[in-house]
Amino acid sequence: MCLGLCGTPAAQDRTPDQALISPDAKDWVTYGGSYTSQRYSQLKQVTAANASQLGAKWVYHVDGTTELEPTPIVANGVIYISGFNRVDALDARTGNIIWKYQRQPPSAARQRGTAIYGDKVYMATSDSHLVALDARTGGVRWDVKSEGGFTISGGAPLIADGRVIVCGNRPHGFIQAYDAETGTYAWTWSAVPTKAEDPAYATWGGGTPAGAPIWVSGSYDPELNLIYYGTGQPDPQWTGLARPGDNLYSDSIVALDVKTGMLKWHFQNTPHDVHDWDSLESPVLVDATFRGQPRKLLLQANRNGFYYILDRVTGAFLQGTPFVDKLDWATGLDREGRPIVAPGHEPTVKGTATCPSTAGATNWPPPTYSRDTGYLYVVVAEGCGINVITSSTAPDSATGYYEAPHAPWQAYVRAIDALTGKRIWEYRAVRSNHYGPGLLSTAGGIVFAPEQFGQVSVLDAKTGKSLWHFNTGDVITAAPVTYSVDGEQLFAIASGTNVFAFGLFDRR
Amino acid sequence: MKAALSFAGLLLVAAPLLAQRGTPAGPANPFLGKPEAVTEGEALYNQHCTTCHGAGGGGGEIGPPIVSGDRLDIGVSDAQTFNIITNGVAGTPMSPQRLPETDIWKVVTYIHALRATAIDNPLPGDVGHGEQVFWGKGQCGTCHMMSGRGGLTAPDLSNIAGTRKARSISDALTKQQHRVYGSGGAHLEALPAMNSYLPVFVTTADGTIIEGVLLNEDGYSLQMIGNDNQLHLFDRAKLRRVVVEPRSLMPTDYDKRLTPDEFKDLLAFLTRQGRSAPRR
Repeated sequence: MCLGLCGTPAAQDRTPDQALISPDAKDWVTYGGSYTSQRYSQLKQVTAANASQLGAKWVYHVDGTTELEPTPIVANGVIYISGFNRVDALDARTGNIIWKYQRQPPSAARQRGTAIYGDKVYMATSDSHLVALDARTGGVRWDVKSEGGFTISGGAPLIADGRVIVCGNRPHGFIQAYDAETGTYAWTWSAVPTKAEDPAYATWGGGTPAGAPIWVSGSYDPELNLIYYGTGQPDPQWTGLARPGDNLYSDSIVALDVKTGMLKWHFQNTPHDVHDWDSLESPVLVDATFRGQPRKLLLQANRNGFYYILDRVTGAFLQGTPFVDKLDWATGLDREGRPIVAPGHEPTVKGTATCPSTAGATNWPPPTYSRDTGYLYVVVAEGCGINVITSSTAPDSATGYYEAPHAPWQAYVRAIDALTGKRIWEYRAVRSNHYGPGLLSTAGGIVFAPEQFGQVSVLDAKTGKSLWHFNTGDVITAAPVTYSVDGEQLFAIASGTNVFAFGLFDRR
Repeated sequence: MKAALSFAGLLLVAAPLLAQRGTPAGPANPFLGKPEAVTEGEALYNQHCTTCHGAGGGGGEIGPPIVSGDRLDIGVSDAQTFNIITNGVAGTPMSPQRLPETDIWKVVTYIHALRATAIDNPLPGDVGHGEQVFWGKGQCGTCHMMSGRGGLTAPDLSNIAGTRKARSISDALTKQQHRVYGSGGAHLEALPAMNSYLPVFVTTADGTIIEGVLLNEDGYSLQMIGNDNQLHLFDRAKLRRVVVEPRSLMPTDYDKRLTPDEFKDLLAFLTRQGRSAPRR
């Protein structure tokens, strides 16, 4: 039985682009599972009825790491686990190592995944090179230094229209494209204006545009040829004294033309942010009839506590609703989706309580959208934070935040009706930290829901009822994947320094 | 033992400094990259250091080894080595060495070369001709990949000089038993890839025979790359037969199948492929 890249003739005949646009259900080919970032799998061997028979199939220890964050990629029976300077390729059925690429020096820095395109996988290095490895052997196909002095972050690369899309934080937020076959540099988009003639420059009130880091992978619509990314907070992070104005394009969802890198549209969730509410939560692409009209939608449960529905062709705001109860910094959103800001929540020397906290109502660990239930499942933190600054007059005042004693953080998995924003059910984590790991859903009617304190649970997608659980014995921050090898559906998740794979007990 | 402890103490103190500043503390080695300094430094080392630290830094009866057998060596910067030679290590037999500063730097340069991989101390020869031999008469590229070109049934050599010493590369071309173990010997600290590249012949249930190179196996599964350049992943229970040859296909008589000049130039080429490992 050949399970390698030699797969079925049909699979072999598909172009690398087709394999990403219409991925085989047995694979998990991008950070978000597919270009939509729905993290929904059509596999249904594991169902709500038999999930109780899940068990661990293999564990792989990623030596030299600390708290693993990558989403693995699975293609043709091989699972690829990445870090800065490193990719481990394993037999996805047994966890046996096939090859390991380690560029010096070893790095335990946070990194969130790799990407595959045909016979190549991609990895950023800690000295900001982009490296393409041969997916079969780990051999170096090409290695290029990032263009223009930009430092590539730990966000997983995204392959779109034959380009490797990478992002980063330094010297400010940016997105770059390189040719996936050759590594040839294509373009850079800066998340803050770099020239005074840029209209966005005026939104910084005379201050120097800075920040807007981008450290999470985006989504892609091949029909529109647009990529969608979130951007992070403006700098200085905690005071807006030196940057009066909206501070574009911080805390925004942006749509870029993948051929040119030109900004097609933007939507700013949190203008003039002083709470570090990055908009880096995965933009989920869904085609649906919304208020009687078929539309291409973009969904995002944002760190600031609002759940947004946008038209992803134009960026038009369609709807916004809170998905947490603890939200007091805004009284709502106006017709354009702009927050109606409540006074009294700017960080102060004494400390100011704000809900949600800086850790957010949710954060980068990605949600999932089920095509069967029509629900968006989000890891949610209810609670508030106290933001403090060290000086009320220094524009770059250093500071931080802590959990508000009156409203401690409580984590949930929450099912939200994707088109109405109505809450359907919630699963309460018994122990909570600032946020939890990512999620996935399947055609088997389940949500695979790890918890930060080490439990992985399978929940009924319709009701939220827990169907199975397993204690991995370490912290989980990463997001899970599911795939199928030789007729067996498996789930994999990084926990601590290990990657676990689960499947049904009676399959072998 | 005490010397070794002091040495470890120095490393601990140095690590945060390196982390803070990003570059090794202290003056830069003025002779780095100068092969004649390595030669002169070797002569000075043999005169002043071998009594305690042994030939080639391998350790003696009084002093500890200062070069481990590993491919990537102990992370001491040249400036730190210079300070140890100049000032000694308190509480150990390692006394301050009364040598001119330039001589100390030459010894440091020699020790650097001993510790470094091939890229820091490449072998002489006609590099361009060596590259021709690699892709031509030597047929290395049939199995090995180099900078995105070449075969898949042997290790990628794009960074061979950044991970191995010149001697190790030469041994791989000329000796059947050339495996180099790290200073921990054969003890495993993590699950390694197999890296032995043994020929394998697999007979599937329907009688198809697939030939290639073994990448990994256990009692239940087998991973290989076929001569068709595709990965094949097998459930062993479904295989009729597995034959693994005990020896890799890598020839070990390159010093005979190539002329002396070709062999020398091939080594000159190989010992320049890669990047220096960052000093820890």
